[in-house]
Amino acid sequence: MPRYDDGTEYLSYYASLVSKKAEELNIEKKDFEGKEVTVGNVSKFIKKKNPNLIFVNGHGDANYLEGDKGEILFSTDKNIALLRDKIVYARACHAGLTFGKKMVENNDGCFIGYSTPFSFWIDERRSAVPAKDKTAALFLEPSNEIMFSLLKGNTTSVANEKSKKKMTDNMNKVLKMQDKKEPGAMGWLDILWNNFEGQVIHGNSGASF
Amino acid sequence: MSEERQNKKNSGVKELVLARLNVMPPNYKLSVGNRGTFTKDELIEHVKKGDETGSQIVNMQMNFIRALTSGKLIETLNQ
Repeated sequence: MPRYDDGTEYLSYYASLVSKKAEELNIEKKDFEGKEVTVGNVSKFIKKKNPNLIFVNGHGDANYLEGDKGEILFSTDKNIALLRDKIVYARACHAGLTFGKKMVENNDGCFIGYSTPFSFWIDERRSAVPAKDKTAALFLEPSNEIMFSLLKGNTTSVANEKSKKKMTDNMNKVLKMQDKKEPGAMGWLDILWNNFEGQVIHGNSGASF
Repeated sequence: MSEERQNKKNSGVKELVLARLNVMPPNYKLSVGNRGTFTKDELIEHVKKGDETGSQIVNMQMNFIRALTSGKLIETLNQ
């Protein structure tokens, strides 16, 4: 969970809800936050503890996932083998294009992520307290559903479908807001659609945590 | 498509995207993946400049408009 700009602050808050859910379910976990999110720390932990489920929350690109301040955590040409046979959800841009496909080549792992930029609107009047921003929640709650669902033991396929269902529910909600002339609703719909269409699953869709 | 027609088309697309951004209330900011978080005015500026962030915004809007006009959006929402 890197946190160094507005976007990552929100992502960090929503990731903290996933961490709380794991605690509620008595699931052993390790959170890396801010400056702790380095390739050294994360790689060392994976080699030592061999976790089955990994949630990466930050920035990414077609061939890599980033940690704190742009440090590359995992890349297709360096350490992708660390993620062999694992379930990875990457709330990051574009990693579904190449990284996710390569991660699951010749193994039983599963990657859920995005082939587009993962984007969301923020209501500036609420940005000091992300929990109170109902606009951002329209985009970020469906993505959290992937982790909630996986933590409850659902398969990767079910987790992906549940998240997409939340997105379509929110798109229908936004359409109703638009009918009531809610300012900005059409802009929200654009972004929800892009996240919906860009969310991809690669590899073992029957994998569970 | 000739270069002139392509330029006209690109210009029309940009105008459409700018019109859609203009109706956004000023208190909303968009977090666009790796590119950062932008106010409405900053989004408009990037689209006008046609830089990488602007192109990304145009692509996202066009993707939505294609889904809307092809019926794919409504089909998905009615499932």
